[in-house]
Amino acid sequence: MISATQPRGATGWALLIFALILAFLGLVLAAGGLWLVALGGSWYYLIAGLGLILSGVLMAKDSLTGVWLYLAVFAGTVIWAVWEVGLSPWELLPRVFGYIVLGVIVLLLLPTLKRRQATT
Amino acid sequence: MTPLLRTLALLASLSLSTHTIAQGTADKESVPGSPSASENSVETGDSEEVQAPTYPATPQPSDAPAPGDWAAWGRGSSASRHSPLDQITRDNVDQLEVAWTYRTGDLPEGSDQESKYSPENTPLKIGDSLYLCSAMNIMISLDARTGEEQWRYDPQVAKEAIPYGATCRGVAYYEVPGAPGDQLCATRVIEGTLDARLIAVDAETGELCPDFGDSGMVDLWQGIGEKVPGWYSVTAPPVIVQDVLVTGAQVKDGQAEDAPSGVIRGFDAVTGELVWAWDMGKPELNGLPPEGETYTRGTPNMWTTAASDEELGYVYLPMGNSAVDYWGGNRSEEENEFSTSLVALDVNTGEPVWHFQTVHYDVWDYDLGSQPTLVDFPLDNGSTVPALILPTKQGDIYVLNRETGESLFPVEEVEAPGGGVEPENLSPTQPSSGYHSLAFPDLTEKDMWGMTPIDQLWCRIQFRRASYKGKYTPPTADRRFIQYPGYNGGNDWGSAAVDAERGILIANYNDIPNHNRLLPREEAEERNLRPIYAGGENEEEQPPAEGAGDPQIGAPYAIDVNAGWRAPITGMPCTAPPYGGIRAIDLASGETLWDEPLGTARKNGPFGIPSHLPFKIGTPNNGGPVLTAGGLIFIAAATDDLIRAINIGTGEVLWKDVLPAGGQANPITYEVDGRQYVLISAGGHHFMETPIGDYVIAYALPEGEG
Repeated sequence: MISATQPRGATGWALLIFALILAFLGLVLAAGGLWLVALGGSWYYLIAGLGLILSGVLMAKDSLTGVWLYLAVFAGTVIWAVWEVGLSPWELLPRVFGYIVLGVIVLLLLPTLKRRQATT
Repeated sequence: MTPLLRTLALLASLSLSTHTIAQGTADKESVPGSPSASENSVETGDSEEVQAPTYPATPQPSDAPAPGDWAAWGRGSSASRHSPLDQITRDNVDQLEVAWTYRTGDLPEGSDQESKYSPENTPLKIGDSLYLCSAMNIMISLDARTGEEQWRYDPQVAKEAIPYGATCRGVAYYEVPGAPGDQLCATRVIEGTLDARLIAVDAETGELCPDFGDSGMVDLWQGIGEKVPGWYSVTAPPVIVQDVLVTGAQVKDGQAEDAPSGVIRGFDAVTGELVWAWDMGKPELNGLPPEGETYTRGTPNMWTTAASDEELGYVYLPMGNSAVDYWGGNRSEEENEFSTSLVALDVNTGEPVWHFQTVHYDVWDYDLGSQPTLVDFPLDNGSTVPALILPTKQGDIYVLNRETGESLFPVEEVEAPGGGVEPENLSPTQPSSGYHSLAFPDLTEKDMWGMTPIDQLWCRIQFRRASYKGKYTPPTADRRFIQYPGYNGGNDWGSAAVDAERGILIANYNDIPNHNRLLPREEAEERNLRPIYAGGENEEEQPPAEGAGDPQIGAPYAIDVNAGWRAPITGMPCTAPPYGGIRAIDLASGETLWDEPLGTARKNGPFGIPSHLPFKIGTPNNGGPVLTAGGLIFIAAATDDLIRAINIGTGEVLWKDVLPAGGQANPITYEVDGRQYVLISAGGHHFMETPIGDYVIAYALPEGEG
């Protein structure tokens, strides 16, 4: 489970909260994505949702793999988005913009995660 | 028009009217229900036989507008929306500045959206004067140079009379043939009101015309039935053809099958007396219905503006749908024949000459909203044929011979999807224009949009859950159905414009689906959907606004429309932009010359918060274009509250200005004292969610320029 052995500073708590939010967003995407698949729609949301759940859980456990997984979901999303709608900026907006915002936060939390992983 | 030409035209029309009078009289004598036999003539205190006007038909300013004038809603009877003025050019348009601003003072109480204000007004300019009407039908004349008010007449329309919106798209201008210039009402301004009156006032003074109807007014409720304020309203300017003033009315959509009639009536433009009535359900009835009866209830109506051909004596009526839009099981044969059709009516008889239907068995509210444009259509062999251009909400644009109604281009009957709640009634095919369509390919799941993957996913799920079989997907009750294009168009009341010299047709359009569902009667009752005549004891109990659900009393289903298909919470559209555009079409061939999104994202954003983004996104739009010989298109219409000038050759925006309220109105251009002005009423629009205002703004080049 989440390592409670070492004290969490402000950034440590931020990392945990962010990781849980990420997992929750993944859960929403995966649940909706499963429904969409059942209706005969795109598989993307289910896959991306599962990726985000796993990424969030790993980050919550101070695992750097969670970061790599997030970046993998992000890269996959960009490829999928361009495949689906080309380079149309308005159509890329809902597909990619949110991941960029989350990605920036991931990178901001990266030093904290590295420090905590090193001291585990 | 030169004096010689004017004389020739007068002679020609004299001979024409002599012929028509004889015919008109013969018709009237054989009709027992004619107004002469009714109490109408008693009421007006006139015991003379009512017949087609006997005045020598003089060409009206609307039939041949002076170069600097804007004499009818579409500039002239032909509704080209094109002006020969060329002082403002592509090179100097960036110097345009506000010459003057006038405020009508007609503003609503309470919030913009609740007010239901959507003035949509386009003034007329004749001589040195402008003539306009405010949202609540206050008639106003301004000095075209300065915007100074010359007179106003307030008919005191009650708030309860507001139907779907408080709208007065314009007034009509009429010169009484042969009347001495100093005679009261020799020139007159005529409007139809929200409380269904025709009102004629003197163009010089604004005084009511005593010779018109009952002291300047005609009550259009006559023959309609029980008076329910807001159910039967005139929002479009009447048209005057061979001295007959023709009007329809807006019947508030979706209330009940037993609704006011869609009857079209012709009145003597001088006396206001009923000349004829065209009631599709009672073709033999030419005047008022007998005592105790009404014109046929619930028939398709004409809420928008007609066009006319003075020479042929035809008025072209863009008819809407029956009163109940989304279910047709009880419609009569005549309704199915004429609904959503363009009907050419002979103004001498009030009889249809030809009609052209743009959708069979309309269960989508695809009313014809656009005013047709008359053109001498260029043929390959260099000759021309008298034609008209008819845009539709589905996006199809038709070119019809205006004498016969025959299409100049192939019209294909395309197989239409079946199913829904009344598969046995649906038309197996629907017409498709071989000339041009503004519509885009059918939606797919990947066209779903949002701000984030989560709302996009939500919309994708809704897309998969809905019934969608492409264009003309039949209405369903067990689940939502997607209607694409939605009922805002395609092209709507703003209509298209034609530059005949350059051979270019300009049409702006919406590109938005609706997400609808039929509600079984029990569900409608649970939702407390009540028709307009049911009312409520207090304000809160009033029937809900259009879009929240219409009861369709008399049909087994009510209707729930999610116009623009917007997601809950964010209010963002479920489909990707652009939501609207403007297109230039080669008039002769129907081929696209250019196509650009219309409107920026600056005033739109999630949760209704303006994004201030200057990017061109293509917003929903309402209101038409104006073309000039200077090679420019002036248009507002979009929900970004901008007015802009576009290069007609390329589609490039050359100039824009921020309006103080929504620009959901057709602009005009005119000239006075050698200076060209571009004018727009910035009145806003409750349904388009733009700020409400009472502004009339005139732009011109700085004095001494041009």
